Amino acid sequence: MIDESMQEQAAAYALGALDENETKAFEVSLRVDPELRALVRELRSVTEALAGTAPALEPPAAVKARLLLEIDDRRPAGASRVQNVPIGAPAGSPGRAWIPWAVAAAMALVSLAFFWQSASLRSQLTAQAGRINELAASAELARAESADLRQTVAKLRESNRLASFRIALLDSLLAAAPRTIAVSVWDNERQDGVFIVRNLKPLPSDKDYQLWIIDPKYPSPVDAGVFQVDAKGNVKQDFRAKLPIQTANQFAVTIEQKGGAAVPNTKAMVLAGS
Amino acid sequence: MMAGADDNVAEQNQDAALIERIRGGERAAFVGFYDRYSPLLFSVAARVLGDRKEAEDVLQEIMLVIWNKSGDYDPQLGTLSSWAVTLTRNKALDRLRARTRRLRLIEEAAILAEDSDATSYPSANEIVHGRERAELLRDAMKDLPADQRMAIELAFFTGLSQSDIATRLQQPLGTIKARIRRGMLRLREQLGGVL
Repeated sequence: MIDESMQEQAAAYALGALDENETKAFEVSLRVDPELRALVRELRSVTEALAGTAPALEPPAAVKARLLLEIDDRRPAGASRVQNVPIGAPAGSPGRAWIPWAVAAAMALVSLAFFWQSASLRSQLTAQAGRINELAASAELARAESADLRQTVAKLRESNRLASFRIALLDSLLAAAPRTIAVSVWDNERQDGVFIVRNLKPLPSDKDYQLWIIDPKYPSPVDAGVFQVDAKGNVKQDFRAKLPIQTANQFAVTIEQKGGAAVPNTKAMVLAGS
Repeated sequence: MMAGADDNVAEQNQDAALIERIRGGERAAFVGFYDRYSPLLFSVAARVLGDRKEAEDVLQEIMLVIWNKSGDYDPQLGTLSSWAVTLTRNKALDRLRARTRRLRLIEEAAILAEDSDATSYPSANEIVHGRERAELLRDAMKDLPADQRMAIELAFFTGLSQSDIATRLQQPLGTIKARIRRGMLRLREQLGGVL
């Protein structure tokens, strides 16, 4: 029977929540207790199920291609699992004169097979290379868009170093939407700003995105208005805060019911940044 | 439920055969493993890191560990896939800690990713186990009391220690340990026929 304390440790161990010393101590118990090992095994399956609740993402095909190239490169030359069969007969051994001919014939057949396989592989490689190029181009485009925005922000920051502008880059908090990015430019003197978003998922008609300004002067984020994005997920919009802003420390975007909310639904935050 | 258990035994047998072949340096076996589990591992890395590019790097590193160090896998402590998930989560957290500036946001994102909007995306379980099993797994998670689920998710996806979670949630350490234990045991019970 495993007591509660060991169950606690087993649960934390399966989740990876024990610190280094606790882990070492627990692994000592684990080595000598088969019942505990069985529990950990089951709890690790629970952990795997928990891990699988993450939004599904398919890795790009280029990752697999790079990986296979790498393991092929690292393979020792003698790593082939094909057994080497001695092919030469001892010199002068009578009655075995057919062997060189048989070997030659076999080599010819093998060469033919290699030629056919090589042609097939070449065709597969061409298709894969095309796919990789396509994916790389798409990734490059996303990176370029992001880089452009970041460069713009850097320039704005530089040119407005002495001004009262607060320029923030907001990153996506959703793993399933990593290309989403936004910039908020806040003029503290005028108490208004401009908000630009790229690649944000359009919402159903009963919901709005809502922008929030985090100002340490207030206990909760300040409402800065709602917005929708176009079909491509883009928008550029002027905004004002519902309360006077002293310091715009951070900006965040949440998904709210149509018309917005008085306080943010932090469980539906999609963008944040400073 | 029994069908789920049978499927699971079959999966574990497949895993055992697969790891033997990977240990033997069989490239096709490795490709089979990659095709089956890379969406799960990539999804976990992306959720922990909140960055798809970094998740790609983590996936590649972990796959190389599986190819080069499959001998480190101990079948007594879990399935091949659960070992790979643990490796992925730990590697992703190492990277996350390296960029502490974003840690706070990502911690929050880890919880937020389970928000109502995120449920419109299919889960990684759906790709690996199919829709029916994924729904069972998701329902089991949803049935968990919110405080238990939060403690478990913070522990797994953000890498916070139990003490850190206690501080963050302003609860005694003993309460957090008990929540994690109860939640994990309850999930084990509920998912017994599925896992």
